Amino acid sequence: MQEQQHHIATAFDRDLEKIQALIMKMGGLVEVAIQQAARSLEERDVELAEKVRAADREIDALEEQINQEAARVIAIRAPTASDLRTVLSVMKIAANLERCGDYAKNLAKRTSVLVQAPPVGGTARSVRRLAQEVERMLKDVLDAFVRRDVELAEEVRLRDQEVDQMYNALFREFLTHMMEDPRNITPCMHLHFIAKNIERTGDHITNIAEQVIYMVTGEIPDEARPKGDRTPYAGSEEVRG
Amino acid sequence: MTQQETGAGGGEIKISARDVQVHYGDNHALRDVSVDIRDKMVTAFIGPSGCGKSTFLRCLNRMNDTIEDCRVEGDIRLDGEDIYAPEVDPVHLRARVGMVFQKPNPFPKSIYDNVAYGPRIHGLAKNKAELDEIVEKSLRRGAIWDEVKDRLDAPGTSLSGGQQQRLCIARAIATSPEVLLMDEPCSALDPIATAQIEELIDELRRQFCVVMVTHSMQQAARVSQRTAFFHLGQLVEYGETGQIFTNPSDPRTESYITGRIG
Repeated sequence: MQEQQHHIATAFDRDLEKIQALIMKMGGLVEVAIQQAARSLEERDVELAEKVRAADREIDALEEQINQEAARVIAIRAPTASDLRTVLSVMKIAANLERCGDYAKNLAKRTSVLVQAPPVGGTARSVRRLAQEVERMLKDVLDAFVRRDVELAEEVRLRDQEVDQMYNALFREFLTHMMEDPRNITPCMHLHFIAKNIERTGDHITNIAEQVIYMVTGEIPDEARPKGDRTPYAGSEEVRG
Repeated sequence: MTQQETGAGGGEIKISARDVQVHYGDNHALRDVSVDIRDKMVTAFIGPSGCGKSTFLRCLNRMNDTIEDCRVEGDIRLDGEDIYAPEVDPVHLRARVGMVFQKPNPFPKSIYDNVAYGPRIHGLAKNKAELDEIVEKSLRRGAIWDEVKDRLDAPGTSLSGGQQQRLCIARAIATSPEVLLMDEPCSALDPIATAQIEELIDELRRQFCVVMVTHSMQQAARVSQRTAFFHLGQLVEYGETGQIFTNPSDPRTESYITGRIG
């Protein structure tokens, strides 16, 4: 963590603090969206799902606001060095958060369809566990952002592997259910999209972690991060075997 | 050799300074400055007032010789030749290392004579036709020919501030120098004139080694390829301009360019 001195122009400090506060607000809303969307799925709560869908508008509006503020700071302050990196990172982080919000909204939409069929085993519970893991990653990456904590960001980045593995397990679970009973195919297709979207959310959080590292150190981590998603190779044995 | 001394990559080394110390009486104004300045590019010196950047610039063509209690130590070489060697004539050196100052300072003479002055005293033209050619070529390279070609006899002081500065640059180029030193060349000019000078500097670097001192960090970022940051009489950091402005390695550079109290 590095100590930040104050600018001679204190209004510049206020501008940067404002943008960072907007990121924290936006991140908080996305956290809630993921949490509530996953709960609406497990508890088959259509009303809660509806609430998540409506709340996405606020997330989108925040991204817009962050981009406008960032453009204003670039135009007026001509930021350099760590200030410049902060402004650039903030814009990318906002874009990644916006995608995460969209995925949560999509989960909520599919909940509304899924409640019309009986639940498929314990899959909704497993999906919610996956979502909880991703939500913890998001919370930690936001902490890393606000505290400029490179170590924590690095840790979040590596944790995405666990999300990939949980997703692999879910993939197999869905396959099994679909092979057991063709009536499970429709709900399992929806559930699989949900799981895939949560897994993608993890990837966006990883991007945010990388932006935090860039913002603080000036360097994007380049070494390949371990990938845990094996599903591109899965399936063929199961079908044939 | 360390990063601080050389900067990374780029053109051939034109000026090489090692362990330069400057004292004004008891004041140790510049300490242990070692730097390689490359040809055919713009090198900017930045830093807060009193950091020694102008002092160092003035060492490069021995302008400090004119200040009575100023003492310069260390080694400064132009194309490998020691410019402080006893056999070097400072007047001849300054024809090779031209200088442009903060405030445009045309001589109280005609536009033509301002530019012709240097070539005349250094005997660079055999006759009037040759001198005319040098004057026109210099004014063209100074990006001011079109504005003054119909009034070469008018006094240099009758021009606008920005035109006067371009006239001074044309005057500096007229002796065919290899290096152009510029000490805050735009600080007395409005934004349009500043943009014209910056455009001109970008042209000039094709032919010259340009070294400029500027208080405007944005100007250093816009026109230079390499930037050196001076602080309290020391060279803190020297490197590629893009790197200095996006990811400086020294916290003092970071504090200065981001406008924080250092």
